[in-house]
Amino acid sequence: MPDEVTLTIDGQSVTVPKGTVVVEAARKIENLIPVFCYHPKMAPVGMCRMCLVKVGTPKVDRGTGKVELDTDGKPVIQMMPRLQTACTTPVSEGMVVVTKDAEVEHAQKGVLEALLTSHPLDCPVCDKGGECPLQNLTMGWGPGQSRFDYSDKVHFQKPIPLGDLIYLDRERCILCARCVRFQDEIAGDPVLGFDNRGRSWMIISKSDPAFDSKFSGNTTDICPVGALTSADFRFKARVWELQPVPTVCNHCPVGCNMTFDMRANEIMRVMPRENDAVNEIWICDRGRFAHHFVASPERLTTPLVRKNGKLQEASWEEALDLVARQLDGIRESAGGKAVGGLAGPSLANEDLFAFQRFFRETLGSPNIDCRPGTALDLPLDDFGAEYGLTSGTDLMQLGKGTVVLVFGADPEEEAPVHLLRIRNIAKRGGTLITINGRATKLDRFAEHTLHYRYGAETEVLAAMLKPLYDAVPPEGKRAALRGFGDLRGVLANASAERAVANAGVDGPTLEKINQALASATNLVIFYGQEALRAGTSVTAGLANILTLARKAGAPNSGLVALVPGANARGALDMGVRPDRGPGYSALKQPGMAAHEMFDAARQGRMKALYIAGLDPVQADPTLAEALKKVDLVVVQELFLTATAQLADVVFPVLSVAEREGTFTNAERRVQRFRQARRPVAPQRPDWQILQSLARQLSAEAVIAASANVSDKSRRQARRAEEQARKRTDWSYASPAEILMDIAASVPLYKHISYASLESALGVWGRKPNEAYYFDGTSYENTGGLGKQVPAGAENGGTLSLQPFNVRTFSQPAERPWKLIATPFLYDDSTLLNGSALLNNRKARPVAALNPADADSLGLKDGDVISIASGRGELRLSVQRTRLAPQGVVLVPLHVQGVPLVTVVEAGVTAVAIRRAEG
Amino acid sequence: MLKGTMAYFKGLKTTAKYLFKKPVTIQYPDVKRPVRERFRGRHELKRFANGLERCIGCSLCAAACPADAIYVVPGQNDPAKPLSPGERHAAVYEINMLRCIFCGYCEDACPTNAIVLEHQYELSFYDRRSSIYTKDMLLVQPEDGYGEVPPVLEQTGRQLNPPAQIDL
Ligand code: SF4
Ligand code: SF4
Ligand code: SF4
Ligand code: SF4
Ligand code: FES
Repeated sequence: MPDEVTLTIDGQSVTVPKGTVVVEAARKIENLIPVFCYHPKMAPVGMCRMCLVKVGTPKVDRGTGKVELDTDGKPVIQMMPRLQTACTTPVSEGMVVVTKDAEVEHAQKGVLEALLTSHPLDCPVCDKGGECPLQNLTMGWGPGQSRFDYSDKVHFQKPIPLGDLIYLDRERCILCARCVRFQDEIAGDPVLGFDNRGRSWMIISKSDPAFDSKFSGNTTDICPVGALTSADFRFKARVWELQPVPTVCNHCPVGCNMTFDMRANEIMRVMPRENDAVNEIWICDRGRFAHHFVASPERLTTPLVRKNGKLQEASWEEALDLVARQLDGIRESAGGKAVGGLAGPSLANEDLFAFQRFFRETLGSPNIDCRPGTALDLPLDDFGAEYGLTSGTDLMQLGKGTVVLVFGADPEEEAPVHLLRIRNIAKRGGTLITINGRATKLDRFAEHTLHYRYGAETEVLAAMLKPLYDAVPPEGKRAALRGFGDLRGVLANASAERAVANAGVDGPTLEKINQALASATNLVIFYGQEALRAGTSVTAGLANILTLARKAGAPNSGLVALVPGANARGALDMGVRPDRGPGYSALKQPGMAAHEMFDAARQGRMKALYIAGLDPVQADPTLAEALKKVDLVVVQELFLTATAQLADVVFPVLSVAEREGTFTNAERRVQRFRQARRPVAPQRPDWQILQSLARQLSAEAVIAASANVSDKSRRQARRAEEQARKRTDWSYASPAEILMDIAASVPLYKHISYASLESALGVWGRKPNEAYYFDGTSYENTGGLGKQVPAGAENGGTLSLQPFNVRTFSQPAERPWKLIATPFLYDDSTLLNGSALLNNRKARPVAALNPADADSLGLKDGDVISIASGRGELRLSVQRTRLAPQGVVLVPLHVQGVPLVTVVEAGVTAVAIRRAEG
Repeated sequence: MLKGTMAYFKGLKTTAKYLFKKPVTIQYPDVKRPVRERFRGRHELKRFANGLERCIGCSLCAAACPADAIYVVPGQNDPAKPLSPGERHAAVYEINMLRCIFCGYCEDACPTNAIVLEHQYELSFYDRRSSIYTKDMLLVQPEDGYGEVPPVLEQTGRQLNPPAQIDL
C-alpha cells in the first residue's frame, strides 16, 4: 500500500498510514510514549519535550539512491544525532524508534525534573490531583528526587480568574498550550493566548467578557495539570471519591454523552463521556455547568392540590384520586375530546409514549402536542426523520467529499457541540456552506457563506433547486420521483439572478454553492429554528435539495433538524402531536394542536388540560386567561412554574438525574440515561404518574367494554375484550418495559432496547491504560453508545419531492423593519434554574440593531424603543451590533422581560420601530 | 476421697499466695492508667502556632483509611479570614469512631500532620449517631497550636520571591 508505512518501535513492527506521528504509531501497539502537550484531537506542537525518543532511518546511498544493506542483508540504520520529539516526527518507511533506553530515560527524567522545578507541588489541595497526567508521568517516568532547592520556587498570585467559569493557577501551568490550541483549533473562539516571556510567560484571556467561549469547560479536562480548574468543581471533592454515572445531556438536541459524578447523593461535576458519533470528548458549558436545577431547593417535593383557591400540599393518593375521578367525570360528560395534553420535548421517550397512550387509549382524546401553544411554536418537523441522516452515519468519519449545508441555523446557540463537529468536517476537507439571514459564528469556518434577506429564504432555495432539478436525467429517473412534475412550474422562473435580486445574496457564491452541491459525495444539511420558523416550504426545499442531489437515504447523508429540546425528535417519533401517531403513523382523526387547545379553552370547550414539562404561561402570559376557563388543569413539573401556579393539581416529577430513560437526539440516536441520584423527596417519574392515573381510569373502561358486548357475536366480543385489555394494560414495572412496548409497536424503534443501547463496542477512544496519560480528558464510555433509528427514506421505495413554493415577503410601508426571534443557549429556561454561575452569560433582554440603522433612528446603546407589529407592541433597550443585518431587529427568545409572543406573527414579522417616550 | 480434698487445698494455696501480693487490677474509672507515648486513641485535629487549622481538607486521610471512617467535605478559604493556610480547608470533617480501627493510617497520610491519634480512649456512646465525631469535637483550641506554617502551604497572597524575578 503506497499510503501506509511500516516502522519498528522497540523491536515491534507496526504499519500505519503515512503522515502519522510516532506517538500515534506507538499508541497503536500500546506502547505509551509519555506526552504533555500532545493531544490526539489536536495538531502537535512539540512544546513540552516529554516525548523524546531515539529515531533512526535507513541509510540511503547518495550515489545510487538505494538503501544501504549490511552484511546480513538488513538495511543500515542511521540514528539521528539527537533525540526527537515523537509527537511531531512523522513516520517513514523502515524507521526505527527506540522509546526505552538509558538515553531516553535520562531525557525524560530531565524534562520532568525541569517541569517540577517551577511546580508548586500542592497536589493535596489541587482539584486535578488523582487524575493528573503530571502526577502520573512523574510516578512513571520521573527522577524520584529533585536537585532543586524548594525555597527557590517561583510563586505567583493565585488563583487568577480567567472569566467566571475557569480559574488559572499560574504556578501549576506547564505552558503546554493545550488550552490555547483547543480554543483556536477546536472551539474556534481564539480567546486564550500567551503573554510575556521566560518566567513571566503566562496564559491570559484576550476577550471581553473574559474567556468568552461556550466550550471553556473542556480546557479544564484537557489541561494536563491543575492549572485550569472550573469554578463549579473547585474544592468540591477529590476525584477518586466520585462515582461517575453515565447520562445524556438534557439541554439541547445534540444529546452529548456525559457522566454525573456523584458523591453523597449530590452531583459534584459533569464530565463528557467519549462517544465519537455524538460529542467526541467535548461538551458545552451549559451541559457542564447547568446541572444545579437537580439539587435546587425550589424543586417541587410533594403533590399540590388547589383547595379554597390555594395550592396546598397533598398526598399522592389524594392527588391521583382527585385527577382520576375528575378526568373520568369529564370523559363521561363531555367525552375525551374535551381533554387536551401537552408534553414537553425534554421528557424521556418512555414518558412521551406513555403520555400519548394515556390520551389516545385511556382518555380517548386525540388532542396532544409537544409545543406550548404560543405564537412562537415551531411547525412539527417530519423531514428530519423522513430524510434524516441515514443510520450508521458518523460525522466524525466525514471529511473530503462531504458537503455540509447549514441553513437558517445558529448551531453555536442551538446545538453547541454540533458546531465543533461541523467545523471538524470542514477541517478534514469537507465543504462547509452556511446560508443564513445573519452572520453566525460558523460563517468563520465556512467555505461559502450567503446571507439572504429575511423572508426571501425560498428564493435562495429555488435558485439552488433549479440546477439540481434540471440535472435529473429525463428517462426513468424523473418518474421515480413522486411530485417531480409539481415542481416544474414552481421552479420555472427560478434563477440565480432572481435570487440575487430578491434575496440580496451574492451571485458568484451561489454559483459555487450549486457546483459544490452537484458534486457532493455526501450531503449533510443542518437546519435550525430560523429555517423551521420560516415555514414548511423552507424545510421542504432543503429536503428536495437532498432528494434531487440523489442523497436521500444515501449513506452519510441526510437532514439534521435542530428542533429545540433534548428529546424533540423523540416527542415527534413517539407521536406526541395532534396529526400523527407513534412512528409517524397516520391517524384516523387528527386532534387539536396546542394553540387550538388554548383557543378551545378560551371558548370554554376544553374541560381539562394536562401539561407535562412545558410552561406555556411563562412563554405567553395571556394564556393564563385561557387556563382559568378550564375546569381541571394538571401540571407535571420540576418547579412551580408560572403554569403550575395556575394548576388545580401539580405533580412533582423526578429529574433526569433521578431516573432512567432514553432520549432521541437530532441525529435520531436513541441514548440511555441512568439514575444517578436517590430522590430526596417523594417525587415520581412522569410515566409512573400517567400509569397510576391510567390504571384507575381503565378499571372502569374494562367493565364498560365487557358490558357492551352482550348483544354481539362471541367472536366480536372476544376481539373487543382483547382490544380493551391491550388498551387497558398498564403494567410497566420500569422504563425498560415501556421501551420494549415502544419497540413492539413503533416499527422505527424495532431494534431499540436497553440492551442494544448499552453496547459500548466500537468506541475508538482510549486503548487500555491510556487514561494514564490522557487522564482527566474525559471518561471512557462504559454506559453505551446508543443506537440510531433508520430514516424514512432508507426504506427504499419511491422517493417523493415535497411541496415547495416560492414565497415573497412584503411588508406594509408603515412597518418597514423585520423582527427576528433569535435563540440563545443561555436563555431563561427552567433547566438553568439554580445555575447562578451562568447568569452573567445569559442573553440580555435587548433588541439588537445594526449600528447604521440605529444611527438612522438616532439611537444609542441602552435607548428604549418600541417595536410594534400588527398584533402588539414590545419595549426593549437597544444594543448596537454588527451581528444584526440592516433592516432587521433581533430579539432574544425565551428571555424574561421580553414578551416576544405579543408581537411575532410568523417567521419574519414586519414591525415599526420608534423611540419609546418616557 | 482424700485425694480430692488435697486438690482443694492445692487450689486454695494459689489463692492464698495472691492474697498478699499487690493487686494488678486498676480501679478504673477512679484510677486511670497512663498510656504509652505512641498510643493510638481518639483523633485530634491540630493547629499551627498562629491558630490556623492544620487541616487543608485534602481527603488524603479518608483515602488512606481502611475502614472508610473519615468524611471530608472541602471548602474554599475566604482570603480575608482563612481558616487554614492556603486556598482550601475542611468545611466538614467527621470520623465515625465505630468504624475506626485506630490503625493510624490517616495520621501517616496527612501531609500537614493535622490529624493525630491522641491518648484519649474513652469512647462510648448511647447511640450510633453520637459515634460520629465532628470537626468541632476533633479540633483543638487555638492556643494549643504549634509549629510554623511551612512555605509550601503559603499559597495565597504570595509575590514573586527574589530568585524568580531574574528573568531568563
Ligand atoms: S493552563 Fe493547562 S492546558 Fe493551558 S498551557 Fe497551562 S498547563 Fe497547558
Ligand atoms: S451541546 Fe447540547 S447536548 Fe451537548 S452539552 Fe451542550 S447543551 Fe448538552
Ligand atoms: S485510625 Fe485508621 S481506621 Fe481510624 S480513621 Fe484513621 S485511618 Fe481510619
Ligand atoms: S486531616 Fe490531613 S489528610 Fe485529612 S483532610 Fe486534613 S490535611 Fe488532608
Ligand atoms: S513535545 Fe511531544 S508531547 Fe510535548
